[in-house]
Amino acid sequence: MQVAVERRPTLIFLIVLAVLLVLMTASTRTIRGVGETRTLFERTVMTLFSPVPKTVNRVGQNVSDAYHGYVDMRRSVAENVQLHRRLTELTTENLVLRQTHGDLSRMRALLNYSDQVSMPTVMAQAVMLDTGGRFKCVVIDRGSDEQVELNDPVVSATGLVGRVILTTKDLAKVQLVIDSNSAVGVLLERSRRQGIIKGDGRGMLTMQYVPAGTDVVVGDKVVTAGIDGIFPKGVPVARVTKVEEGKDLFKNVTCAPLADLSNLEELIVLRTRKVPDAVVRYGH
Amino acid sequence: MRWLRFLIGLILALTLHSLLDNFFPNALAFFNPYIILVVYYSMGGNLFGAIIAGVVAGLVQDAFSGAIFGLHAFALTVCAYLVAYVNSRLVLRGTLAFGLSLIGSVLLNEIVIYILVNILLKQRIDLFEQGVVVKTILTSIFGMLVYQMLSLFLSEEPIEATRRPSGW
Repeated sequence: MQVAVERRPTLIFLIVLAVLLVLMTASTRTIRGVGETRTLFERTVMTLFSPVPKTVNRVGQNVSDAYHGYVDMRRSVAENVQLHRRLTELTTENLVLRQTHGDLSRMRALLNYSDQVSMPTVMAQAVMLDTGGRFKCVVIDRGSDEQVELNDPVVSATGLVGRVILTTKDLAKVQLVIDSNSAVGVLLERSRRQGIIKGDGRGMLTMQYVPAGTDVVVGDKVVTAGIDGIFPKGVPVARVTKVEEGKDLFKNVTCAPLADLSNLEELIVLRTRKVPDAVVRYGH
Repeated sequence: MRWLRFLIGLILALTLHSLLDNFFPNALAFFNPYIILVVYYSMGGNLFGAIIAGVVAGLVQDAFSGAIFGLHAFALTVCAYLVAYVNSRLVLRGTLAFGLSLIGSVLLNEIVIYILVNILLKQRIDLFEQGVVVKTILTSIFGMLVYQMLSLFLSEEPIEATRRPSGW
């Protein structure tokens, strides 16, 4: 046999080719018996050599995982740095936007309020606020150059702030309604009973000259009466917080200002010009 | 020893096959590592050994590819036999001779496959000519590089020929 093989390689070659041809034919046609043999043969070859592709696949997968893990890690680190930077930017931007939003809301409220008031107005910004001293006042950044005059009422988005008591070219001092020297003619919005509201010097207001029989309860809103020649009618001033029977014919009504006088920013100066010059002169 | 080296070469070819399948699918359409091994082995001029090498390498290639089982074995056996036959009569050594043998073998291999597919499946191979050109170039270049490296660094020569008279 050995001799035959060595002497007849071409014959062996042809036999091998014939066998392979049969294998191929079996692969393309269904031949009873041969098909199973071919499948078995193919399966055997695959089984014998299967460790190679399995190992390659496993190693390749590990290498690929390691590479992608490394790449992902590098990407994550870079992304993390970017996200941190972005977070800082967005936080800053958010702060600015919140500030702007707050400003805008206040401005809108002021503008709406300004629209409701049919009189010339001047927008102003609180520069200095003094509510801790004896005199309660705020300095605004608008003065006589912007036609801000003495006794011009000053309001915020939520209510009456006070009146201008001093002007310079570019600044004005506003006496707050909670100042003990402040007095405003007001009325109870619900019962329409008039009175005078004064600052108690401690941040609250006292409504005076409210007759004993007046229908006034805690929570009633107090607005300007428009009778003092300074403040226009209907400006919200305060809300009743306490009602007591007085010694005389009047009740003791304590109120809280509607405007947040401890935190003033944007203000509106109402140029009413209703006070006669003689009264102004008399006042001074 | 000869068969051990062939087996190592076959495992390397299968490894390359697997790697290409994993990372560059369809790369085997343009590159054939098995024929490099078969031609390298057949350059020894041993006809019987070449036949066995062609059959085994071809069956492994068939087993791990989607071809008809036996197709590559048939084509590689033909190539291996012809290369061994030529080398049993001529002393072909060196990278150039190996490269020429490889180019001829790749072309022959593809032609045989083309004919068999036409006969057995009655199908045409799309872009056959382009595929043959690319596969011939890439396989030959890679094969020659491998041959050169084996010659230079490992002082490796194709398996020594066992010169025997023709079987005809």
